[in-house]
Amino acid sequence: MAEPCPAGHFHPKDAPDYESILQCMRCGFCLAVCPTYALTNRERSSPRGRAALARAVAEGNLEFTAAVRDESFFCLDCKACSTACPSGVRVGTIMEFCRSQAQVFHPPSLPAGMLRDFILKRMLPSPALLETSMLPARLYQRLGLQWVVRHLRINRFLPPTLAKMEGILPILTPPLRLEIPEMIPALGEKRGRVGFFLGCAMSLVFPEVSRQTARILSQQGFDVVTPREVKCCGAPHLAEGERETARRLARINIDLFLSLEVDFIVTDCAGCGCALKEYEELLEGPGDHERVGRFRAKIRDISEFLSEAGIRTEGLRPVPLTVTYHEPCHLVHGQGLSGPPRQVIRAIPGVELREMKESNWCCGMAGSFALKELETSRRILERKLAHVRATGADALVTANPGCHLQLAWGVRELGMKQSVLHIVELLGKALPQ
Amino acid sequence: MLNKTVIDHLRQKVGAGNVYHEREDLLVYGYDATPEIAGFPDVAVFPQNREGLQAALEVSRREGLAVTPRGAATGLSGGSTPFRGGMVLGLTRMNRIREIDEENLTMTAEAGVITVDLFNAAAEKGLFYPPDPGSQNVSTLGGNVAENAGGLRGLKYGVTRNYVMALSGFLYDGTEFHAGNKCVKDVAGYSLRDLLVGSEGTLGIITEVTVRLINPPQDKRTLLAYFRDIRTAGEAVSKIIAARIIPATLEIMDKTTINCVEDYARIGLPREMGALLLIEVDGHPAVVAEEAEGVRKILEEVRADVIRQAANTQEALQLAAARRTALSAVARVSPTTILEDTTVPRSRLAETFAEIERLSEKYGIRVATFGHAGDGNLHPTAVTDERNLEEVARVHAFFSDLYEKVLSMGGTVSGEHGIGIAKKGYLLRQFGEGGIGVMRRIKHAFDPDGRLNPGKIFLDEGVPAEMQTPGGTDG
Repeated sequence: MAEPCPAGHFHPKDAPDYESILQCMRCGFCLAVCPTYALTNRERSSPRGRAALARAVAEGNLEFTAAVRDESFFCLDCKACSTACPSGVRVGTIMEFCRSQAQVFHPPSLPAGMLRDFILKRMLPSPALLETSMLPARLYQRLGLQWVVRHLRINRFLPPTLAKMEGILPILTPPLRLEIPEMIPALGEKRGRVGFFLGCAMSLVFPEVSRQTARILSQQGFDVVTPREVKCCGAPHLAEGERETARRLARINIDLFLSLEVDFIVTDCAGCGCALKEYEELLEGPGDHERVGRFRAKIRDISEFLSEAGIRTEGLRPVPLTVTYHEPCHLVHGQGLSGPPRQVIRAIPGVELREMKESNWCCGMAGSFALKELETSRRILERKLAHVRATGADALVTANPGCHLQLAWGVRELGMKQSVLHIVELLGKALPQ
Repeated sequence: MLNKTVIDHLRQKVGAGNVYHEREDLLVYGYDATPEIAGFPDVAVFPQNREGLQAALEVSRREGLAVTPRGAATGLSGGSTPFRGGMVLGLTRMNRIREIDEENLTMTAEAGVITVDLFNAAAEKGLFYPPDPGSQNVSTLGGNVAENAGGLRGLKYGVTRNYVMALSGFLYDGTEFHAGNKCVKDVAGYSLRDLLVGSEGTLGIITEVTVRLINPPQDKRTLLAYFRDIRTAGEAVSKIIAARIIPATLEIMDKTTINCVEDYARIGLPREMGALLLIEVDGHPAVVAEEAEGVRKILEEVRADVIRQAANTQEALQLAAARRTALSAVARVSPTTILEDTTVPRSRLAETFAEIERLSEKYGIRVATFGHAGDGNLHPTAVTDERNLEEVARVHAFFSDLYEKVLSMGGTVSGEHGIGIAKKGYLLRQFGEGGIGVMRRIKHAFDPDGRLNPGKIFLDEGVPAEMQTPGGTDG
């Protein structure tokens, strides 16, 4: 560790690390890959500009102004700049810290703050509460209200944010967390025992996808343990600048999974995987680093896990599909995983992978960005979908619930032919019944 | 700070979204990629067309503002930093490709077009725009022309200047100029075009450029060699050139760089080696085969310790991996990276490496050197921490001594980065008062009031050098 640096105009608690800011040499290589800079051509909305603003605050040349706050939230945290950066600066992470600074210097208004606190500190940490909160949405669909709204195009009269929320929601079925067996035994020759980190969004919004993940792991020869006590990974908290709650959740998840005696901890959510791999950093300071390190060493994205373990291909049925692959930011930039998902796709007999341009460019979902910055999000999505369309592929494959929602919504809105599939759904089609 | 009336007028003329005056914006239009250097403008304006640009220039004249043109601000000599405040004139929103003329093999584009986009547009027509500065994914055509940017292909294909056929733009007083044309031969009058290429935004604002395009090479071979002694690598370079083989790429990395790359990427580089050469020959397949063989023979002759030749594109990429990673690896070593562009006649390479080694020991600093060995253009890169003022002073002393030696060997203080603010003192040493005097008169002829990118290239008379440039004149 370097000597502690004064925080300048940052609040000392959860201030961005000055050394990491100073590492930026302003070469500008990040400008080429930043979606918000591509749209605005405004330096302060670029990674280099954002790092410079953070540096000015840290050096006391700038207060933590509303503009700094706005830029920290306008950043998609897609981490494309981390991949492009020669000197290892992670502006997305610096902006995450700035978001927690924003809670100090520009606290939200009372009702907004209460809602934020309720969602981040109460609802997300409690799976049961989260599941209950989805009931109205399920009811809305079950009673046929959604059908009425969409067919009479009532959503035209909704405020834009609500209309997008309505439009983006897929058909909901009961959450997987309550249904999935806590232990699914390996099929065939057993190769090991894995813990399945079932993310909130996967369980609530894409239960059928995660069901496939568990099925694939078992079919591939692994005992699959899915603990019901799992908590949110903390990614939404990091994104919203709520680091304290993220730390609390991290400690619970570490204890839970280390008690399971599993070889690996696998997730099918790129966002969760990225957050879980950052626990060490999140829990810096006094504490049991050996345990955190042990936990970290076990985390694998599903594609990463399958390509490392080697996919058992015997018995796989051909899937005659042309697909293109959208790389979730939290997989390619957050975890540096670009090859493994493609290896998985190529391992499926019958599948033709047709690469799109800019496959590692954000889709514009970026957590709550898609609901807060509707217009910007839509423009980023359109850039993505134009490349998807150009491939002429039958299916658009991805590996993260956020991207999945956004892409499926976009494909529907634009009347495109592609179906959107999680990579495990594609692999699931090849599995023997 | 400019008053509100001026800002409103600018917004009205150039478009509200193209004028920035808030502190957060001005802070980030003060820098480029040069360490230790930053200015603070009063306003930043990004015209979308010539009318907007003229209007901005008119306001700057009326208000007596300095004007600093800016592309992507990836420069390494401080050329686009608003040293004296005033107006930053961004060209990135004038970024249309106007025309690809397949009969004359030219392309005409606005200054804000990104270098790689130009390359790709040419490639789509089966043509080739060779200049490839390290920042080609972000740098702009206008910036490349203003700095006369080089790149990896410089040895065989030349630099930006060799491809500029015509350019147009505005002088500070609003006079429009057109220099050059699509004619292959043109000796009419002074070549204003050649004067403007590499003028670092001090003579005029370049808004549009016509470049020459060529046929792309049909084939390429990649070789890699390691040498225990860097002098042997230098010898190999000299012999390759003397054998009249001109590779498209002839890149070198020294021991420190090899070890930085290995620390960072762990790709199994031999840490004990003193140097690495990456060589790519390209052109007609028959010539390529012959030249690759010629290079191989020379490498064997000088007894390179390891010689590898790529059998296919995949392997070629693997061989090039170390060189590609060099900057990243070196940049991660420390917070501040001072990357220079010392250039010498090719025959003096080995000597220059020896001098870099001797001087870095003398000053107790860490210097990784990589660069374009084939054209004598090296990037000795000091890894330091700008907060450590004492060490930074030693770094400047190191470069000062190095440039003294480089000049004594017939080299130049800048191969491709330009003078900007960072090297004003060194330029004086290279040209003396006489040469600088001529340049000043040229500057005066274009910009008598000295409003265009002031403070660049020349030291101001009567002001101590150390106040004007990070290293001063003597380092």
